Amino acid sequence: MSADDQIKNYQDLLRQYNILNQISRTVSSTLDLNKILRIILTGVTFGDGFGFNRAFLFLIDREEKNLIGRMAIGPSSNEEAWMVWGEIQQSSFSLEEYLNSEKFDNQNRASALDDEIKKMRIPLIKGKELFLCMEDGTPRNVNLETGSNVWDDTLQITDPSRIEPGLLGYLDYPKFCIIPLISRTKKVGTLIVDNKFNHREITKADIDFLSMLGQFAASSIRNTLIYNDLKDSLEALAKLNSKLEFLKEYNEKIIESIPVSIIVLDHDFKVTLCNSNSEKLMGRTKEYLIGKKIKKGLVSLDEQDLYDEAERVMQDKRAEGFYKTTVTFGGKKSNEIYDIMLVPFKFSAETPEGVVVSIENMTKTVKLEQSLSEAKRLSELGRLSATVAHEIRNPLIAIGGYVNRVKKKYTETGQVNEENLNIIINEVARLEKIVNEILDYAAERRVEHSEINIGKVLQEVISLAQAAAEQKNVDIVIECGSDSISTREIIMNGNADNLKQAFLNVFNNAIEASETRDQVKICVQLEEDEDGKYITVRVNNRTLLSSEEEVYNIFLPFYTTKSRGSGLGLTITKRIIEQHSGKIDVVSNIDIGTTFTIKLPLVRF
Amino acid sequence: MKKILVVEDDMPIRNLYKEELIDEGYDVVTAPDGVAGYELFRKEKPDLITIDIKMPNMNGLELLDKIRKEDKSVPIIIYSAYGEFTQNFSTWAADEYLVKSSDLTEFKNRVRELLFRK
Repeated sequence: MSADDQIKNYQDLLRQYNILNQISRTVSSTLDLNKILRIILTGVTFGDGFGFNRAFLFLIDREEKNLIGRMAIGPSSNEEAWMVWGEIQQSSFSLEEYLNSEKFDNQNRASALDDEIKKMRIPLIKGKELFLCMEDGTPRNVNLETGSNVWDDTLQITDPSRIEPGLLGYLDYPKFCIIPLISRTKKVGTLIVDNKFNHREITKADIDFLSMLGQFAASSIRNTLIYNDLKDSLEALAKLNSKLEFLKEYNEKIIESIPVSIIVLDHDFKVTLCNSNSEKLMGRTKEYLIGKKIKKGLVSLDEQDLYDEAERVMQDKRAEGFYKTTVTFGGKKSNEIYDIMLVPFKFSAETPEGVVVSIENMTKTVKLEQSLSEAKRLSELGRLSATVAHEIRNPLIAIGGYVNRVKKKYTETGQVNEENLNIIINEVARLEKIVNEILDYAAERRVEHSEINIGKVLQEVISLAQAAAEQKNVDIVIECGSDSISTREIIMNGNADNLKQAFLNVFNNAIEASETRDQVKICVQLEEDEDGKYITVRVNNRTLLSSEEEVYNIFLPFYTTKSRGSGLGLTITKRIIEQHSGKIDVVSNIDIGTTFTIKLPLVRF
Repeated sequence: MKKILVVEDDMPIRNLYKEELIDEGYDVVTAPDGVAGYELFRKEKPDLITIDIKMPNMNGLELLDKIRKEDKSVPIIIYSAYGEFTQNFSTWAADEYLVKSSDLTEFKNRVRELLFRK
C-alpha cells in the first residue's frame, strides 16, 4: 500500500472513530429509546459520515422468535435522496451539531420507509441467515447480484433463499449488510444498511465500523430497554405500595375501631402489635407493650396459663377459644368476664408461627343473661304464686265462711270460745288479703290513664292513712306541701286508683314500721327543670330498715322482713310508679331514719 | 218465699252459700256448672241468681248471656276472684259484681237489696 493510501486509511479510521464518538456522546445524553434509535440511524446515514443511503433497525421480540421493525431512515425515492443530500451539502453541521440541533429534534416528518418498517414482523427461521446472524453474532454481507467482490473476513450471502422471506421484498435492493445487535450475550436486534441510491459498494472497513457501532448500539438500546422496564416496574411498585399503604391504614383502622383488644405475639411470646383497646385493657401504652414478652405465670385465663395455651396453639397450628373466663394479670384477678380467642398467625411464609390474642369484654352480656334468667325465674315464680293463690282462695273462703256460721250458732250458747273463733276469722281474712295481693301482682292489668289531679289523690290517701295510723297511735304530719295539694290543681297522666294503692302501700309500710307516738312525716314538692315538671313526695319514719340488704331488696317480690305480709306491697307500688314514668327509691340511715322518695312527671301545676 | 239459684262449681262454697241463704229465709237451689245452672233457671224460675264466673263446661259469662237472652229482669249477681273481670263489658248485663270473700255480709246485703227493691 502506498503512503497516500495508508494516510487515507488512517484518515478514514479517524473519521470513523470521530463519528462513533459523536454518536456515543449524543446517545448517552438521553434515555428515550426512540431518540437513541434515531441518533444511531442518523449517524449511519449522515452524509459526511458513512453516508449509507438507508438504515433499518429491527428489535427482537421477547420470545426471541421474531424481528420487529422499529425504525428506518432513508429517502423513499431517488428524488428524495437528491433533495436530502442537497440540504446536507448546504449546511455545514457536524454530525454532533446536527444531532443536537433543533432540526433533528423536530424531525417529525413521517417517512414512507419508516411507516413501512413499523408494520414489519420477520419470523426468524432456523438455518436462515437472520436467525444464524443472531446466533453467531457475525455480520453478513448480502450480495444477490452476480459477479461482485468477495471479502475473506466477511460472510457473503449470495443465495436469496437463505434470507428469511419478507425482508427482501421490503428492502427491494440486492446488496445490503446485516449487522447483529447483541449486548454481551443478549440478543437485542438487527441493523441493516444499504446504498440503494448511489450503489456504493459496502467495504470491509464499512463492515468493521458497522460492527463496532452495532455493539455500541446494542448495549445502548439494551440499557435503555432495561431502564424503561425498571421505570415501569418502579411505577407499578409505587402504585402497589400506595395501595398497600392504604390497605394497611384501612386494616389498622378496623382493628382500632372494634371493641375488642387485639395483641399479636410472635414466636417468642413478644408483643409485636396491639390496638388501642388493648391499651385500655392492660392499662399500659402501646409503646410500653410492644416488645414486652409474655412470661409463664404472668397471665392466666381462669386456671390456665396464657403462656402454655399460646404455646400449644402455635405448635398445633389450631385456634383455641376461652369463653366467659376471668383474667388474672400479675396476680390480680379481674372483676370482669372475657371471651378470649387464640389464633395461630404467620406474618410471612418465612417467619415461624406466632399467635393473635383477641380479648372481648363480655361482662355486660353475662350480666344481661343473668338478669334475663333472673327475670324469667321471677316471672315463673309470679305465675306459680298466682296458681297457688288461686287454689288456696276457695278453701279459705269456705273455712272463713263456716267458722262464721259456727260462731253464730254456738257462741250464744257458750259452747265455743268466741275469742278463739275470732282469731281464726281474722287470720283467714289476712290470708285472703295476701292471696288478693298475689293475684293482683300476677295479673298485669292494663291500665287506663287520663288526666287526674294527683293532689286530690294524695289528700285521699293521707286521710285513709290517718285512720290506720290512729289505731297504732302514730301521727301523720305534713311537713311541706300541704297548701299545694289542697289548693292547687296538680295534673298528671295516670290512673287514680292505682296511684292511690301505690301511695297507700308506702304509707302503710311507714306506719307499720313506726312505734307508738312516732311520727310519719310527709313532704310534697313541686319542681320544674328543663326536662319538665315533677312532683316529689317524701314519706319518712323514724325507724331504720333492718339491714343494708333490705334497702336493696325491699322492692323485690315476696321480700319481707315482717313475720306476716305478702312482701308484695312495695313491689306493686314500684310497678305502678314506673307505669306512670316515675321513680321510687328508699334511703335509710341514722340521721334521717327511713325515707321513701317518689317522683312523678306532671302535665301542669 | 223468694227462691235463689246458686251456680258454683266448688262444693264447700256452694254449700256455704246455700246454708247462709237458707238462714236468711230464702228457698235455695244449686247447680255445679253452667249447663245445670241453665236447666235449673228454666225449671225453677228463681227470683235471683248468683253465678261464679270461673266454672268448667260453660263459664259464668256465657251463662249470664244465655239467661239474659230469655229474661232481662231477673236480678243476677256475679262474683269471682279478686281483680278478674272488673272492667269487662260482659259484666254490665249483671246487676252486681262481687269479689268472693269468707265474710258474706256484703253478699247477703246485696241479695236483700236486689230482691226487695222493686
